[in-house]
Amino acid sequence: MAEILKFENVSKHYSNGVHALEHVNFTVNEGEFISVIGPSGSGKSTILRSINKLISITDGHIYLDGVSVSQQKGKNLRELRRKVGMIFQNYNLVYSLSVIQNVLHGCLGYMNGVKGVCGLYSEEDKKKALALLEELGMESFANNRASDLSGGQKQRVGIARAIMQEPKLLLCDEPIASLDPSSAKTIMDLLRSMTSKRGIACIVNLHQLDVAVKYSTRIIGLSKGEIVFDGAPEALTDERIERIYGTSRENLMIGASAND
Amino acid sequence: MTKKISLGVAGQKKMYTAFLIAAVILFVLTSVYTNFNPMTLVKNGDAFWSFITEDFLPPALPKASRIPGVLSSVLVTLALALSATTIAAIFAFFIALFGSEKVSPFPKFAKVVRGFATFLRNIPALVWAFILFSSLGIGTGVGFAALFITSLAFMVRAFVETMEDVSQDCVESLLAVGASFPQRVSQAILPSCLNGFLSWFLYCIEVNIRASTIVGMVGGGGVGLTLFTYIKGFQYDVALSIILLIAAMVIVVDRITGRLRKEISK
Ligand SMILES: Nc1ncnc2c1ncn2[C@@H]1O[C@H](COP(=O)(O)OP(=O)(O)OP(=O)(O)O)[C@@H](O)[C@H]1O
Ligand SMILES: [Mg+2]
Repeated sequence: MAEILKFENVSKHYSNGVHALEHVNFTVNEGEFISVIGPSGSGKSTILRSINKLISITDGHIYLDGVSVSQQKGKNLRELRRKVGMIFQNYNLVYSLSVIQNVLHGCLGYMNGVKGVCGLYSEEDKKKALALLEELGMESFANNRASDLSGGQKQRVGIARAIMQEPKLLLCDEPIASLDPSSAKTIMDLLRSMTSKRGIACIVNLHQLDVAVKYSTRIIGLSKGEIVFDGAPEALTDERIERIYGTSRENLMIGASAND
Repeated sequence: MTKKISLGVAGQKKMYTAFLIAAVILFVLTSVYTNFNPMTLVKNGDAFWSFITEDFLPPALPKASRIPGVLSSVLVTLALALSATTIAAIFAFFIALFGSEKVSPFPKFAKVVRGFATFLRNIPALVWAFILFSSLGIGTGVGFAALFITSLAFMVRAFVETMEDVSQDCVESLLAVGASFPQRVSQAILPSCLNGFLSWFLYCIEVNIRASTIVGMVGGGGVGLTLFTYIKGFQYDVALSIILLIAAMVIVVDRITGRLRKEISK
C-alpha cells in the first residue's frame, strides 16, 4: 500500500515554552482509518494541524505524498493543502452562505483568478456537489442557509466540503465532540464509509475511547506529546490505556458517562 | 425581629455610591478650575431669554429668492456626508483586511495598521477641517477630505473588530481547503461580515450628517455655511428656520438608517 504521510522525529515547541510534540514518528498508508487518542492537552490537535501547516513544526520533517510540508509556501502550499481535507469540531462553515456554496468551497484550491474569487463554479462541479449532498442525505437542504441546519447536518456539510477537494487524506479534529450520540454515530459511519469507498486515508482525533476502538483500523495513543501506543485496536489492553490516560479504563468510562 | 434579607447584588450599592461621590467631586473641581458658576445661568437668564424670544422667535423664512439656494445647500451637506462615508467604507474594507492578525497575509503589520487608524480617528473631523483649510483653502472638496479621513479611520477599526468576531473559524477552514487570500476574502470574510459592515456604514452616515454640517460651518460649504452666514449677519430668525431644517434632515436620515439597520440585523 502506498505511503501517504510520514512523521519523522517531529517536535513542536510553542513560543510560550509548551512542548506539544516530542520526537513523533509514524507513517500513514492509503486506506487506513486512524484514531488519535489521548488526554486533553496531549497534542492531538497539534499533530493534525501541523500536517496541513496550519501550525509550523519546530523540528523534524513531515512528508505528505513524498513532499516535505514545512518547506512549502504560497502556491505550492495551497496545492498541498487541497490534497488534505479537514473537518472541525465547530464545523467552520460560512453560515451566511447556502449549503451548496459551502460544499463548493472544496473546489477553491483548484481555481485561480476571477472565477475562484467570484465563486463562479463550473456546472460539473455543481453536479458533483449535489451528488455528494445526496450521498450524505442532504440534497433537500442544498439551497438552505448553512446557519439553519442542526449540528449533525452542519457536520455532514463539512464532510461534503472536504470530500469535494478529492483529498488523499482526511483530518478530523474531534468531529463528534459537539454532537448528540445518535448524530455522532451517523457522522462516524459516514466518515468510515465515504473514506473507505474512495481509498482516502483518515486521521480522527477522538475523546471517546469506545468509538475509537469500534471504527479504527489503527489507534495512536498520545501522552504529553509523545506516542505511547501505536497499533491495532485489539492490542489496546487495559494496561496500555492506563499508560495513555494515566488512569484506568473504569475511571475513563465513569468519566465519559458522567460527561454525557 | 430578624434582619431584613438583602436583594441587591453584593457590593453593587457601594459601587453606585462611590460613583455618585466621584461625580460630585469632579463637578466641583472642574467648576472651580474653569471658573464656571452655575449661578451665571440664572443671573443672566433674563438676557438669554430675551435673546431667544426677541431675536430668534418667531422663525422667519429667508427671502424667496434665497430659498432654492438654502435647499440646495442642504443637498450639498447630505451629498458630502454620503459620498465621504461611501468612499471611505470601500477604502476601509481593503485596509481593514490588513489590520487583523487572523486575516491579514502579513500579520506582523496588523498592529501598525490599527495603530495608524486609531491615531487618525482620535483627531476630530473639525480639527482635520481646520488643518486642511489652512493648507488647502476652503471648499467642499476639503470638507470631503476631512470627513473622509475620520470615517475611514473609524470604519477601519470597526471593520477589523467585526472580522475578528465573526470570521475566524471559516477563514481557517478555507485556509485548509487551499484557498488563496482573495478567495478567503470574497468567500468567507465578505459573506459572513457583510451585515456587520453595512450596519457600521449606516451608523457612520448618521455621524457624518452631523459632522458635515459642522465642517460646513467652518468652510466646507453646504447648509452649515449658509447657517453661519445668517448668524454672522444677525438674522437670527432666519437662522432658526435653518436650524430647524437641519434638525429635520438629521431626524429623517436617522430614521432611514435606523430602519435599514433593523432590517439588516434580522
Ligand atoms: N497556540 C498555542 N500557543 C501555545 N500553546 C499551545 C497552543 N496551542 C496549544 N498549545 C498547548 O499545546 C499543548 C497541546 O495542545 P493540543 O491542542 O494539541 O492538545 P489536544 O490533545 O488537542 O487537547 P484537547 O483534547 O483538549 O483538544 C497543550 O498543552 C496546549 O496548552
Ligand atoms: Mg484538540
